[in-house]
Amino acid sequence: MSLLEVQNLRVTFDTETGPVQAVRGVSFSLGRERLGIVGESGSGKTMTGRSVLRLIRPPGRIAADRMVFDGQDLMRASERDMRALRGKRIGMVMQDPKYSLNPVMTVGEQLTEGLRRRDRIRGAEARAKAVAALEAVQIRDPDRVMAAYPHELSGGMGQRVMIAMMLIPEPDLLIADEPTSALDVTVQAEVLSILDALVRDRGMGLIFISHDLRLVGRFCDRVLVMFKGRVVEELEARRLTEARHPYTRGLLNCLPRIGGPREPLPGLDRSGDWAKEGAA
Amino acid sequence: MGLIEIENLSVTFRAKGREVRAVEGVSLTVGERESYGLVGESGSGKSTILRAICGMAPVTGGQIRIGGEALRMPRGPGFSRRVQMVFQDPYASLHPRHTIDRTLSEPLAIHRIGGSDAKVVKALTDVGLPASFRFRYPHQLSGGQRQRVAIARALMLEPSILLLDEPTSALDASVQAEVLNLLTRLREERGLTFLMVSHDLAVIDHMCDRVLVMQHGRAVEELARDDLAAARMTTAYARSLFEASADRMLDPAKAP
Ligand SMILES: Nc1ncnc2c1ncn2[C@@H]1O[C@H](COP(=O)(O)OP(=O)(O)OP(=O)(O)O)[C@@H](O)[C@H]1O
Ligand SMILES: Nc1ncnc2c1ncn2[C@@H]1O[C@H](COP(=O)(O)OP(=O)(O)OP(=O)(O)O)[C@@H](O)[C@H]1O
Ligand SMILES: [Mg+2]
Ligand SMILES: [Mg+2]
Repeated sequence: MSLLEVQNLRVTFDTETGPVQAVRGVSFSLGRERLGIVGESGSGKTMTGRSVLRLIRPPGRIAADRMVFDGQDLMRASERDMRALRGKRIGMVMQDPKYSLNPVMTVGEQLTEGLRRRDRIRGAEARAKAVAALEAVQIRDPDRVMAAYPHELSGGMGQRVMIAMMLIPEPDLLIADEPTSALDVTVQAEVLSILDALVRDRGMGLIFISHDLRLVGRFCDRVLVMFKGRVVEELEARRLTEARHPYTRGLLNCLPRIGGPREPLPGLDRSGDWAKEGAA
Repeated sequence: MGLIEIENLSVTFRAKGREVRAVEGVSLTVGERESYGLVGESGSGKSTILRAICGMAPVTGGQIRIGGEALRMPRGPGFSRRVQMVFQDPYASLHPRHTIDRTLSEPLAIHRIGGSDAKVVKALTDVGLPASFRFRYPHQLSGGQRQRVAIARALMLEPSILLLDEPTSALDASVQAEVLNLLTRLREERGLTFLMVSHDLAVIDHMCDRVLVMQHGRAVEELARDDLAAARMTTAYARSLFEASADRMLDPAKAP
């Protein structure tokens, strides 16, 4: 049985200029694996991820034929049930980590808050767990970072704090929205290997949202390619470079390469039928 | 002589009695019309260097000169017409309660520059956003859309120096290509000078003439573009970054 099943998910925002359909009928299922979601900016990746946690603020609305996590119907769950799932069984690393962290609480307070509230672990034990989580994500001086406020962190440090915070409760499902976009390649490799180990050894399910096609291609098991709120292609990650859809092919084609020519990068040709409104 | 000269720069933050030496004795020179890259470890002081140029970091040693003149504190209005920065964190740099229109027209108003309406529409078009986005607020945009607004804003005053902190890490491949092409075109047309941070060595290779590799607050190694592509680095750290970027090398089969 799959860990998460989503059928015909739609997210709509009612704005002054009419409804904006951010997600238009997305379906997928996730086992204990690494599922990548790629696709252009504004295609609905974040909204898809947030929908699973029902974290869409009004005027946004979620509708789905089915959204089930480990046997629990997420569309029917009460707000209270959702609160119990969030951060505990389902974690989400937000795309804007520094914005998502609490600006007036130290990193240490934020990392240990869940432990105190949920697991009634406090004091030295909570602190030790938090420090270990920071060390795992390659933070050089965890003691200083524990005492720091979010604005005192670099972009990539904020991202790693957010990842550490989500991993402490050992979730069954982690939704990671651009979790490594601010990390240098060597630290990124370490963070990915932590995520990988959680999937392999603990059977966590991972939804990995990223713009980095090459990263998704080598790290994930499967990939969904989104365009204008729809999944236009689903394929095995290691076959990403063999993608058929003109949109996916176009995306791969726009990437710069080390040692590549200095001419303008090819753009995405949007004249094809696939790019027309309503096309799937 | 370089347009941007940084000599022996040190930046030390003090928080709760602790000292954080974010930058220690870094020197670099960026020539006029040059594009210069900063890469390196997360937390190594790259953003801090850009912020120091803007007068937004506690400089504890060294000098920063632009066009041969040491910068004054505070930087003053002339500085912002000449130097603009695109921040790493677009959410934090856009005012949450200001519409995109206000965000983009404000710099013009401050500097008493007219024709704001047309300029705002042009700026949005340049970064590939529909003009209707003027009336949205930052929270109504996706991450990549916010980043493009931040780039558009930096271009409003037509500066000659752009400090770009991870300008495309939140963008998908196609928008990244558009933004990089736009930046390159502007650099050619307006003779701009770039100092740019990126974690993606392919982006750095595509955009920069030279690159400085940083680790732990210090400059590790400076490389010319050709030396980067040919793996002619001398330090182990620079090599480890290069080797971890194997997935973005030019496919040898497709090389010209
Ligand atoms: N509050 C809102 N009101 C109206 N439209 C919104 C609102 N929030 C998001 N949108 C729109 O929903 C669409 C999907 O947004 P989403 O954040 O899911 O994109 P994304 O695929 O994550 O993009 P990115 O890669 O740039 O982060 C975007 O076009 C965005 O402009
Ligand atoms: N306001 C501040 N107060 C205290 N320390 C700070 C402050 N701003 C930055 N630092 C520290 O300075 C160091 C360098 O940060 P900086 O943001 O320059 O790194 P970076 O190289 O840009 O990293 P990244 O690639 O992760 O963005 C970090 O250790 C950070 O915690
Ligand atoms: Mg997003
Ligand atoms: Mg930075």
